[in-house]
Amino acid sequence: MGLFRNYYGKQKYKQYTRNGLIAMILIIVAVITLFPIYYMVISSFGAPTEAGGASYSLIPKSFSLDSYKFFFEYSEYSFRWILNSFIVAAVVTVSNVFFASLAGYAFAKLRFPGCRFFFFLLLVAMMVPYQVTQVPLYILVVNVLQMQDTYPALIAPTLVTCYNVFLAKQFFTSLPTSIIESAKIEGCSQPQIVWKIIMPLSKTILAVMAIMTFLGEWNTFFWPFLVCNSEQMQTIQVGLKNFSFANTTYFAPMMAGATISALPMFILFFSLQRYFLEGVTVGAVKG
Amino acid sequence: MKAKKMMALLLTAAMGMSALTGCGGGNGKESEEGKGADKKGKDVVTALLPPVSATYQDKITEYVKAFNEEHPDVEIEVTTASWEDTTQKLDVQVNAGSPPDIAFIGSDGVTKYLDMGMAVDISQYLSEEQMKDFDENVLGYFKNGDGLYGLPAYCEVQCIGGNREFLEKAGIDWKSVQQNGWTYDEFREAIKKGVVEENGATKTYGFLFACSGVTAKDYFSIFVKNAGFPSPFNEDLKYTYTDPKMVDFLEDLRAMIDDGSMPKELGAIDAGKRWNMMLTGQTMITGKGLSSFERSAANNNEMLKNGDADAVEGSIPVDYIVLPVPVFEGGTQNAYGAVDGYICLTGEKKPDEEHLKNVAEAAYYLASAERAAETCQELYLKPICESGRTAYEALPPIENKNEDNTKTVESLTKQIVPARPDIPAELGAKAIKIEDEVIVPKFQGLLAGEVTPEEMHQAIVDAAKEVFGEDGYVAE
Amino acid sequence: MKKKLKKDTMWAYVFILVPLCTFTIFTLYPVVSAAITSFQEYKPMGSEWVGLDNYVHTLKNDLFYKALWNTFVYAIITVPVSMLLSFSISIMILPYRKKIQTVFKAAYYLPAIASGVALSFVWKWIYDPMSTGLLNSVLGAFGVPNQNWLGSGNTAMASLIIMAVFAGLGQNVIIYTAALLGVDSTYYEAADIDGATFWQKVRYIVWPLVKPTTVFLAITGVINGLQSFQNAYLMTGGGPDNATTMAGLLIFNRAFKYFEYGEACAQALLLAAIIAVFSIFQFRLNSADVEY
Repeated sequence: MGLFRNYYGKQKYKQYTRNGLIAMILIIVAVITLFPIYYMVISSFGAPTEAGGASYSLIPKSFSLDSYKFFFEYSEYSFRWILNSFIVAAVVTVSNVFFASLAGYAFAKLRFPGCRFFFFLLLVAMMVPYQVTQVPLYILVVNVLQMQDTYPALIAPTLVTCYNVFLAKQFFTSLPTSIIESAKIEGCSQPQIVWKIIMPLSKTILAVMAIMTFLGEWNTFFWPFLVCNSEQMQTIQVGLKNFSFANTTYFAPMMAGATISALPMFILFFSLQRYFLEGVTVGAVKG
Repeated sequence: MKAKKMMALLLTAAMGMSALTGCGGGNGKESEEGKGADKKGKDVVTALLPPVSATYQDKITEYVKAFNEEHPDVEIEVTTASWEDTTQKLDVQVNAGSPPDIAFIGSDGVTKYLDMGMAVDISQYLSEEQMKDFDENVLGYFKNGDGLYGLPAYCEVQCIGGNREFLEKAGIDWKSVQQNGWTYDEFREAIKKGVVEENGATKTYGFLFACSGVTAKDYFSIFVKNAGFPSPFNEDLKYTYTDPKMVDFLEDLRAMIDDGSMPKELGAIDAGKRWNMMLTGQTMITGKGLSSFERSAANNNEMLKNGDADAVEGSIPVDYIVLPVPVFEGGTQNAYGAVDGYICLTGEKKPDEEHLKNVAEAAYYLASAERAAETCQELYLKPICESGRTAYEALPPIENKNEDNTKTVESLTKQIVPARPDIPAELGAKAIKIEDEVIVPKFQGLLAGEVTPEEMHQAIVDAAKEVFGEDGYVAE
Repeated sequence: MKKKLKKDTMWAYVFILVPLCTFTIFTLYPVVSAAITSFQEYKPMGSEWVGLDNYVHTLKNDLFYKALWNTFVYAIITVPVSMLLSFSISIMILPYRKKIQTVFKAAYYLPAIASGVALSFVWKWIYDPMSTGLLNSVLGAFGVPNQNWLGSGNTAMASLIIMAVFAGLGQNVIIYTAALLGVDSTYYEAADIDGATFWQKVRYIVWPLVKPTTVFLAITGVINGLQSFQNAYLMTGGGPDNATTMAGLLIFNRAFKYFEYGEACAQALLLAAIIAVFSIFQFRLNSADVEY
């Protein structure tokens, strides 16, 4: 009934062999991709000494939580950095999911004058390398709007990204137009269609969008670094980078910080996993 | 009609946006206002500073506090971040026309900011006494033409360093080398002797330099100083790297790899890896070597002694010995001194004189006396200003410091290449570009054995011809 | 009916309002500003108009062409390989129970959260040129001689490509799985009745149905690929002998290392034009049979 064939009775072994082989491939790839995380976590249990170079070993040599302590004692703002990151990432995520799905729907399913033009404009803007747009953006936010060291400066430029609008549009394109038509005939207004039909049908992609946006915002370094001068407005990534010194590095505490900053992502991922896997069938909604 | 409607829509949108950003910013704005009230009537001097030494970021808070108390009408406001990040932030700010008042940079960057029209000549704001405080040659690194654009914090000799036990095993009289230097031929023989083979593979190399990515530039520019090229320009302001003796120099460098004294994978070894190889006994001599590596090695020795699991894996006790860079044929002994310090910048066409005076005062404060002494001591260097040296005497001395190293660093510091304020900013910028776009890439190829010395030299000549014109470079 | 249409149009504008404004202020304005700067010799305190000088200079620069070629090679290999790999993985995950699916997805996606710092340390270790390096010691066990991965012009680009493929894998996998889960199971049931094989189902049901996703990943992949410079910047600095100098790295250096911001803008716009041509080409290529 699914994509893969199910075998029954005596042929069942075929299914097991197939699944076993696939599992092996998947596990090998997983080991490769998980390796950096593993390395990050084990390195974080080292002592907070000023090491000349990174430690290259597969097995943890010592176990101490001192580096974590060191990270939190390094600055009185350690917690504040995490909080800042959280506020910024949460606001950006919510606004992106909301506005990008509205716009994505408009571009995918509504025909209006300028529809193609505006969409093309969004795409073209993505194509200009940020290395050159960074300076005018900085001039605008810091010199003109005087917003340095504020949350709006951190949030506004990514309030809703072209990437997410594009992603939403591509997904909504594949939803059958017929259900929208029938909803219209039943007297639904456009906001109602979005809220009652499109959103429930697209939980999966909206969850994906949410986690990607959150993660992107959580990990972003350079922009917050540019617009925040005071220590208390820094985000966790900016704070973390303070551990890199001239010729030496507080290696273990840096990894401890990286591990701490990764934790919220784990939590978010697993709390959203329900949506990732909800294979929404159009039939189910209709019925 | 349609256009009007669109305009109205856009307008409402803009209003909506401002409302949105407005309410989101409650928290940030409050703190800003709070700060503003604090500073009433005070002139704020902003500074962007990297972690100059391991404890610099902690100490700077105290320095600034003391300064602010001493000067009731001036306030220094500091932003700190890692080295690379401060450079990037500074460069964006400079492009945007709003740099901090003071930034900590390498003196080779002075021309770049001067060329942008943003560096401030502070010689008119400092007293004669304050300028005389600094060693003249080192201060020269922050000069261009007649202007003085910043003050040096230290002069860090960049040379090479060896493992004492290995040096002695190879029969090298390192004390004599420290005092008298060595020629390329002596050096080449020495590092050949340093190689230890085991089961057909090299266990210990004679010499190793971190060359991965852009650090290849260090190897080239530190060694080239001793090959008869103290500066890319001669007295007549002609570009010198085109001189045919460059080929000999490059052949000499290549020969050390072909001898097997240096790993052939040199071009992919980064600074961390190379220090790891030094501590694990995989090389006898390493570069670039800084004076403070002595402490780094000593720390690891201490951990090894205590059986601490956090000592670098597989490491051995290493006595770090500072060594001068060998002298190539046709060259004289020079030392490569990285002079870093505080540059003064402005983004305004008509800056406020009073403010600039305060900026110069703050820069002098940061670069002199106890600040200089403490920073230098942590880097295992001697201060380069009189007030710093006085303060240095008062500091508790470093324990177990290798006196031979101290003396060597002191004498090398005296040999650093003379400053060249006579090179116009524009010319200097061109040389830097040739270095980044031609010399470093070709040099990486040379290290990988994929570019020959002649090819590299030809590429430099071609580039120089294009940039400086037929008469702008040395042909013979 | 006509009134209804008008209402839809109104709603469409309302829906795109906020994105369009954010976009105008924070994206379009900087782009236009950069476009203006590309005709100037930029100095923060008073720029000079130089007409097409920046463009002429760029088009005369050999390094620019070399960087474009490198970037092109990088993107043209990275994007399809990464997409094919993530498409296969997304399909391979499907036969398992939901719990196991989650575990795999987490395994592929979560590494993206490891901060860049940790990642760059690990990759440097993997590509360590000495025989103790991770990749060299694994290959050494099979008798492959030591490779100077990032240090040699022959392998540096390939090393960066492998790194990019793995780094982008997780994101593509979760987007593809989301798309696959959207495929109605009734399609498969119908195909089963017709006696379709696994490959036929992939070819005639899955592939066409996830096409919008493929278009999305291809286009954003190419945009990112052609703009990329971070890895080259961190791992090789563009070397050796400019074998890994990307257009993005060149633009970065122009803008910030040499303060030739005008020329950087000119190069960036030329690059953007090339990306646009690619994207239009991809849209054309893919839109032929997408119709719902």
